[in-house]
Amino acid sequence: MAGYASPLALPLPRGGAAHWVRSYWTLIRWHLAGLRMWLSLLATIQVLAGAGFIFGIALFFRHIPATAALFVCTGVPVINLVMVGLILGPQLVAEQKLKGSYEFTRSLPVPKTAAAGAWYTVCLLAGLPAVAVSLLLAEARYGIAFTVSPSIVPAVALTAFTGTMLGYGLGHAIPNPMTTRLITQLLIFAIFGYVPILFPAAQLPGWLVEVNGWLPFGHMAVIVRAGLTTGLVTGVAASYAIVAAWGALGVALSGWALGRRG
Amino acid sequence: MAISAAAVAAGCTSEDWSFRAERVSKIYNGSLLANDAITLQVQPGEVYGLLGPNGAGKSTLVKQVIGLLKPTSGRLSIGPFDLVADPAAARQLCSYLPQAPMPIDSFRVREVIELTGRIRGGGRNEVRRRAAGLISALDLGEWAGTMGQRLSGGIKRLVGFSMVTVWPGRVVILDEPTNDVDPLRRRLLWDQIRLLGQQGCAVFLVTHNVMEAEKSVDRLAIIAGGRLIAEGTPSSLKAADRGHLRLQVMLAPGAATPELPPWVRHHVRAGHNLITAIGEADAARGIGWAAGLIGRGAAEEYALGATSLEDVYIRLTGQASAGGPGQD
Repeated sequence: MAGYASPLALPLPRGGAAHWVRSYWTLIRWHLAGLRMWLSLLATIQVLAGAGFIFGIALFFRHIPATAALFVCTGVPVINLVMVGLILGPQLVAEQKLKGSYEFTRSLPVPKTAAAGAWYTVCLLAGLPAVAVSLLLAEARYGIAFTVSPSIVPAVALTAFTGTMLGYGLGHAIPNPMTTRLITQLLIFAIFGYVPILFPAAQLPGWLVEVNGWLPFGHMAVIVRAGLTTGLVTGVAASYAIVAAWGALGVALSGWALGRRG
Repeated sequence: MAISAAAVAAGCTSEDWSFRAERVSKIYNGSLLANDAITLQVQPGEVYGLLGPNGAGKSTLVKQVIGLLKPTSGRLSIGPFDLVADPAAARQLCSYLPQAPMPIDSFRVREVIELTGRIRGGGRNEVRRRAAGLISALDLGEWAGTMGQRLSGGIKRLVGFSMVTVWPGRVVILDEPTNDVDPLRRRLLWDQIRLLGQQGCAVFLVTHNVMEAEKSVDRLAIIAGGRLIAEGTPSSLKAADRGHLRLQVMLAPGAATPELPPWVRHHVRAGHNLITAIGEADAARGIGWAAGLIGRGAAEEYALGATSLEDVYIRLTGQASAGGPGQD
């Protein structure tokens, strides 16, 4: 017999902080290795998408008002931050369900919170380079002098968290991969056109302003803007609360979906 | 993760790490009975086969063990751990190779085996050593640095097996592990499955390939229509067929099933093959009958041989198994 015969220390169930941390790190490695063929392409698309908005707006209008340029350039980082977690994340889960590998992933012995935490970390890491490049491009194109404050750190962290958790929850909760694809397409459509990320909310019809008041995306833009500018936005505390509430909803949805047994 | 200290303490002192299913039933959508009061036990060190035709309820049962599905009623346990109440413990105590493809396209072979071992709780050096052992034992060396997307289906299957067994749980669930694997490496794979048993794992092997299972399992259960219809060692299950022979007739294309003589004990048709069981004393009559069919152009050839577990399976399920007679 070709083989080896090492004695096995068969496992007992583990728990506690050490098990959580180990699961978290090994899953980050799992995701980074699993996405390695796509990471450079993903980063390039993220940068190009940001550059597309920043430079593209100048193609529509000969003279760009400074405030309009500022709104676009402070909105692009929000799109960079949520694109991976909110759009790509659920599509990857849908693909796993389609290919049948979802069951193996679900059978891995890791805490649900460690799995979600690892995916959040990967999405944040995937978004940050594009955010930095977008801001540099904005400075170069429009001469914007951002006034970066420490609040940018929680704003970026919370925006990516809420986007990632909502995407994570949707991906795991929706049984049909096709439905997931349609919903993510709809989200892209809505975020680019009908959500006050790249422009002030006041430019939307009143009812859409009301709807967006309850949705997280416009508020993500408010808290990120508050960390990059001075005096541009108001009601920042309320925006933090709404984004955090949606993040909590994403966590609850994820917990329910991953704990569900048919 | 809801694993109580008391349960862990109980686990540490328990001697009995058997896997038990007690009257497990699963009803889908309120009416479809996929598992019907299944009771079985697998001891550590035992390779236990779960055999049955497609749709018999095998995969439903193992998905309940691993915590992907919840039984409608009944109990599943490993040692002191209630797997239904504590699916997190189930995932730690069980390794699961599903029938579906594994997500390895973007990984290198050695890397994904080691990484899964680390996720499953193995130490870096031990996992590295065991991964190297599996790669060598399954003759995967030439692909150790190859990306998953470049592998053939059979090699991917062996990589999947290595992923779930590099740091195995106390119960190793293998759902059709030999699918797509070439005959040479299939033997190496069976060696490793036996070795898992020798190392103390309870191996729960789901298959509909009876001929392969007969050579490798210690005990087996046959499941059909969601019910466990037979259980025992391969020898004990074959006992009822002692004194019987298998007469297999390959019918001419398009030929209807011929009228069967009264001394045919039972039969099943699988494609062009008519598989019958006859008594040893009826061997000469059987040959004459088959030769007559060939003479009339109703059949092309026949074979007479000893019965095997396959015949038990055919008798109990009314179907030939994968890899069995009549299966291309």
